[in-house]
Amino acid sequence: MGEKTAIDLEALRARLATEEGPRLWRSLEELADVPEVRRHIEAEFPDIVQASQIDRRTLLRLMSASLALGGLAACSDSGKNSPLMSQSRNMPGTVPGVPVTIATSMALNGYGRGVLVKAQEGRPIKIEGNRLHPASLGATDVFAQAEILSLYDPDRSDAPLQNGVRRSWEELTNFIRPVRNEFVFDEGRGLHVLMPPTTSPTLHRLIGQARQLFPYAQWHAFSPVDDGSRQAAAMAVFGRDVDLVYDLTQADAIVTLGGDLFAEEPGHLRYAADYQARRRAPDRELPRLIAVETRTTLVGARADERVPLRPRDFEAFVEALATALKTGSVPSGSHPVIPRLADALRTAGARSLVVAGREQHARVHALALAINARLGAFGTTIRAIEPLRTLSGEARSLGDLAEAISAGQVSRLIILGGNPVYTAPADIHLGTLVRRVPLSLHLGQHRDETAALCTWHIPESHPLESWGDLRAFDGTVGLRQPATMRLKPGLSAEEFLGLMAGQNTDGRGLVLAAWREAWGDAFDERWARSLEDGVIEGSAAPTVDVAIQPDWRLEPAAPASSAGIDVLFAPDSSVWDGSYANNGWLQELPKPLTKQVWGNAVLIAPETAEVFGLASGDAVDLSINGRVVRAPVWLLPGHAPGAVTLPLGYGRQSAGRIGNGIGFNAYAVRSSEAPWVASGEIRRVGEKLPVISTQQHHSMQGRDIVRVVAPGEAVPPEPVHPSIYPDWPYKEHAWGMAIDLDACIGCNACVIACQAENNIAVVGPEEVAKGREMHWLRVDRYYAGDPAAPDTYFQPVPCMHCEKAPCEVVCPVNATVHSSEGLNDMVYNRCVGTRTCSNNCPYKVRRFNFIDYQGTDVSAPSEAMNPQVTVRDRGVMEKCTFCVQRIGAARANARVEDRRVADGEVMTACQQACPTQAIVFGDINDPNSSVSRLKGSPRNYALLGALNTRPRTTYLARIEDPKENG
Amino acid sequence: MSSDAHAATSRVADVPLSPHFGWAWWLAILASGGLVALLGYTLLSVTIVGVGVWGVNIPYVWGFDLINYAWWIGIANGASLFAATLVLRRHDLRTAVNRFAEGVALFAVICAGIFPIIHLGRPWLFYWTFPYPATFQVWPQFRSTLTWDFWAISTHVIVTSLLWYVGLIPDLATLRDRAKRPMVQRIYGVFALGWRGSVRHWAYHQRAYRLVAILVLPLILIMQSTVAFEFAVTLVPDWHETRQPLHFVATGLAQGLSIVLLVAVLLRWGLRLGRYIDEGDIDLLGKLVLASALVSGYLYIDEIAAALLSGGLTQEATFTRMTGDYAGLYWTAIVYSVLIPQLFWFRSARLSTVGGVFVGVSIGVGIWFDRFSIIVGGLQTDYLPSIGRSYSPTLSETGLFLGTVGLFTALLLLFVRFLPVISMFETRHDEHEEKSS
Repeated sequence: MGEKTAIDLEALRARLATEEGPRLWRSLEELADVPEVRRHIEAEFPDIVQASQIDRRTLLRLMSASLALGGLAACSDSGKNSPLMSQSRNMPGTVPGVPVTIATSMALNGYGRGVLVKAQEGRPIKIEGNRLHPASLGATDVFAQAEILSLYDPDRSDAPLQNGVRRSWEELTNFIRPVRNEFVFDEGRGLHVLMPPTTSPTLHRLIGQARQLFPYAQWHAFSPVDDGSRQAAAMAVFGRDVDLVYDLTQADAIVTLGGDLFAEEPGHLRYAADYQARRRAPDRELPRLIAVETRTTLVGARADERVPLRPRDFEAFVEALATALKTGSVPSGSHPVIPRLADALRTAGARSLVVAGREQHARVHALALAINARLGAFGTTIRAIEPLRTLSGEARSLGDLAEAISAGQVSRLIILGGNPVYTAPADIHLGTLVRRVPLSLHLGQHRDETAALCTWHIPESHPLESWGDLRAFDGTVGLRQPATMRLKPGLSAEEFLGLMAGQNTDGRGLVLAAWREAWGDAFDERWARSLEDGVIEGSAAPTVDVAIQPDWRLEPAAPASSAGIDVLFAPDSSVWDGSYANNGWLQELPKPLTKQVWGNAVLIAPETAEVFGLASGDAVDLSINGRVVRAPVWLLPGHAPGAVTLPLGYGRQSAGRIGNGIGFNAYAVRSSEAPWVASGEIRRVGEKLPVISTQQHHSMQGRDIVRVVAPGEAVPPEPVHPSIYPDWPYKEHAWGMAIDLDACIGCNACVIACQAENNIAVVGPEEVAKGREMHWLRVDRYYAGDPAAPDTYFQPVPCMHCEKAPCEVVCPVNATVHSSEGLNDMVYNRCVGTRTCSNNCPYKVRRFNFIDYQGTDVSAPSEAMNPQVTVRDRGVMEKCTFCVQRIGAARANARVEDRRVADGEVMTACQQACPTQAIVFGDINDPNSSVSRLKGSPRNYALLGALNTRPRTTYLARIEDPKENG
Repeated sequence: MSSDAHAATSRVADVPLSPHFGWAWWLAILASGGLVALLGYTLLSVTIVGVGVWGVNIPYVWGFDLINYAWWIGIANGASLFAATLVLRRHDLRTAVNRFAEGVALFAVICAGIFPIIHLGRPWLFYWTFPYPATFQVWPQFRSTLTWDFWAISTHVIVTSLLWYVGLIPDLATLRDRAKRPMVQRIYGVFALGWRGSVRHWAYHQRAYRLVAILVLPLILIMQSTVAFEFAVTLVPDWHETRQPLHFVATGLAQGLSIVLLVAVLLRWGLRLGRYIDEGDIDLLGKLVLASALVSGYLYIDEIAAALLSGGLTQEATFTRMTGDYAGLYWTAIVYSVLIPQLFWFRSARLSTVGGVFVGVSIGVGIWFDRFSIIVGGLQTDYLPSIGRSYSPTLSETGLFLGTVGLFTALLLLFVRFLPVISMFETRHDEHEEKSS
């Protein structure tokens, strides 16, 4: 060890230069172990290295030595990234230890949702909705919440690959520079760019610039969750493409034709919020929501009436509805609900809305538009705006690209984001085609299926690391700004296009340039405001006037073969199109209706399953046009008979350690002619495939669990039962929660928000199968009524924080105790793990660390942890704390300012994420707090109130109009 | 000491003092030693990895851990209650079987004692249930049944050991006197506590022995009731019943008696102790077993009656236990612990070795299924249907259970090898009485 070697400063610098700034901060300890650094330390600090056993003092010295050496990176001038600054004084407004909130935008399917990212010491730990953003109004969906985990995904690509071999960024740059010059020289001949359609103004501008530079280049847009038929319908009916924006606050009658207004539309969070706002409107009758759908969706579960319908019957259904509205007479042989639907729509008049889901045939969309126009809904509940999600200029399809490659016209292919090799319809055989292209470049966050087949793969930055902008469903622009330094080296799509377009790779500069151009002199002021707010004021798209072309025509869909079964494809509620497959939080999130985790299944109506002799978990071979996929089935009550639904996004091979080999790949049977609805056949295989579900009993068994009242009706009051224990006195606050079951749509945002806020472990499929999932908040789903068309009820169940908590008295070591503010506190370090508290909890909300869940292959990396919340060890019980860390923070603030904690100052994570404000938290000692007001509602009831646990969390009964259920 | 008395006890004393013990004993100790090794492995794995190696989950937070705990406690309680009753009543039978009964009780309680500790999420912190003045000034929760259980089981261990040990003192002295090797002499001597057989010694001994035996009586009721309270005190619909303690005490007694019978029959046959455990003893034991099985049967009927009277969720829960996924456990329990013992109406069955083993094992098995049915089957019906899951034991749990069976057998084998299995002084006493009359 004593031998001193010459210091290879150059090599060390080179190594340190490949490390991005923030990486340095994280890796100083690691650096100490790198051979070069070690050699260097040996030379500089021989006495430290010679200490054979490293004690704490030596370790500290070693670390400071590596810290000092870390500065060497600063000596190199190749720093291609933003500055890493050392502050001698704090920035005004930031205090170490106090998280910083950054407003930015996250994309889902290209559309933006405004979010606020909470970053602790530069480390994003939680995402909340941005109240100022029209697509969020402060709420988030599961995908936005889970981006935190995606950011820290250890499988994210961190180095360029050439034919699968790791290359340095320098090698990439050396390769790209001449290639780009070639592009410029031959004006983009043979160059094809494939990217998902986007709403980003900066990207549109850069694409425009690139088009000028490479006029012969072809641009192709592809997204597996496309709106092709909606566009086709708009083109036919209005003669132009438009995007539709709905205003549910105005609607008295809403008919949805497939799709999921509350989960899959670009403005889904807003629509859910608006619908609930409409229901809460004090002086108006309840709106009527009718969902006509094949699979069961959130909107169907919430609807006043649900009509299960096979995909092939939709066209005739809507046609009949249109006829009924036009002529007043119902065509014979049409669906029995048509007269009722027509009546409801006619009564509501201009305050009605008909929405067709993206899986419907263009004619269904066209007829829906025509009905809306006939009822005068345009201008009240619906408006048309310029299409947002496009590529500027002429964009070709993926099919065109396939043809071009087959014809040998493509010599260079750039795939900007997305994972088209995996998501492309099977009949295109994109994987084979991509390999035929002499030079293919892929920009992506993961070394996924597409990366593996391209000649070059370039790591893409995570949206929380890079600059950009996005339009929301209504056109409002939200800026995307990084919430952290780059954790892994990468480029954003903007930066890559900037490079191609001959500008720099400074993402911020590119976005700045786009908006400087748009705003001119007002730039400085507006830019600062927009960054702070997260939205650009007044950027919502103006309504465009559309008029029905009276002679519009669309070919009807080809009649479905009578033999087959209808197959419907749908984005998955957990992994969407597969891009979230490597996210443990989402994989372990019970899907709203099936409660399935870690996989997908062919969803089938129980009566259809009976015909085929199938039970849940039975494997089937599903074939469409000769392409076959083997998958388990799951019996979904309420699913339309004679049809099956295939959730997309699973069966991935190169997703990463979490997502590989989970579920089956529905893309394998998807074709480009029939991307959403196809006709296929299922055959029973006779084997079982594992389907893991967290809820195995689906009926309330006649008990008063989810209560339902008629409008204005009250829940019968629970008699006050005596208790042998004296009541607790509460001098200051007494925290409580009210959950409005009338508002809950079962979207799961609260579940994942809770998981992100409270460092809840991901346990993996085997453990969930054993019944050991750790979610502190679960959403129970119950069915009631006719099994073929059941009513669906959701009930979020967190810890009830009982006043007479049964768990407290049975813990032998006093590890769960009552706080002075009425919380049922869990003292982790006192818990010895008898689990008897769980036995005595009638709500079964306690979760136990059966093994060390934070140290498994699937657990979240420690960077993603909220430092305000203890990470639980194995062998201890845990449960909902009412976000006690948030209460503590608010209490500290209030004490500093010498005041009481105000109402609304403490928001639990679940409450904050909820799009419909179903969860309200606050001080029940304050009679004027919103939670006290809700608890004063006649709909308020305690779950299992007869047990006299006196829960602090109470529910508000769901409202159902008995006369509407016809 | 007369030569007759010497003859009477020599066979018993020869066993522990003989240098060789035959291949059967070695085979048995090897087999049980293997199971003890398995026990060590399963204990180690659960300590290192966590109770996740078991099949437990939410809501089935307890599985084999509590099933076997309750089962072993049942054996221990039944056996010590039996032994104590004999001592107090100066019953003839005590000469023959109370030493086994005490041994069985002690070893069963050792096996039982493993589970409350190892079933903890963090077993190394088990001492936090002790009320000791900790620096963080937290006391146990005295309202918790688990705290009661801590007191009950620690008292149980102490009293059972005392009963067994106090009864053993005069015999240890006999062994000391007869031992040939000085080392063996010294070891028995230490444990004989300087017993010289003076009249004063005998007087004190009788008083102490009976005192401890009296202590056993309420303790047994308390211990079984405390185990039952762990279930009855919770809100779980099937568990939350006042009849639970009675059920646990009565079925536990049947189980303890059956195991005493099993061990007595096996020893009588294996060690040819027919002279000391005579037909009358076995017959009496058999009748007791039959009577206790009838009491168990009565309690099963009581359970159904209670369910019918209770209504609501409790009724539903009891009927689910009888008809649901785990119904097999319930009916197995009834068949094995109530119906099969009815064989003992026949004197020949009571007296035959095969009959004794069969019924003894069958009640033990039956009560084990009963505990399984209560702890697992009883959780099928809960307040919220959404939380229903299922439980099945893993290999690790099964290994743990077999391991404790191995430990129990190994301890019994060592006991018959190194200590007098039948009370020598009591036998001598009885024979003196017979002679003088």
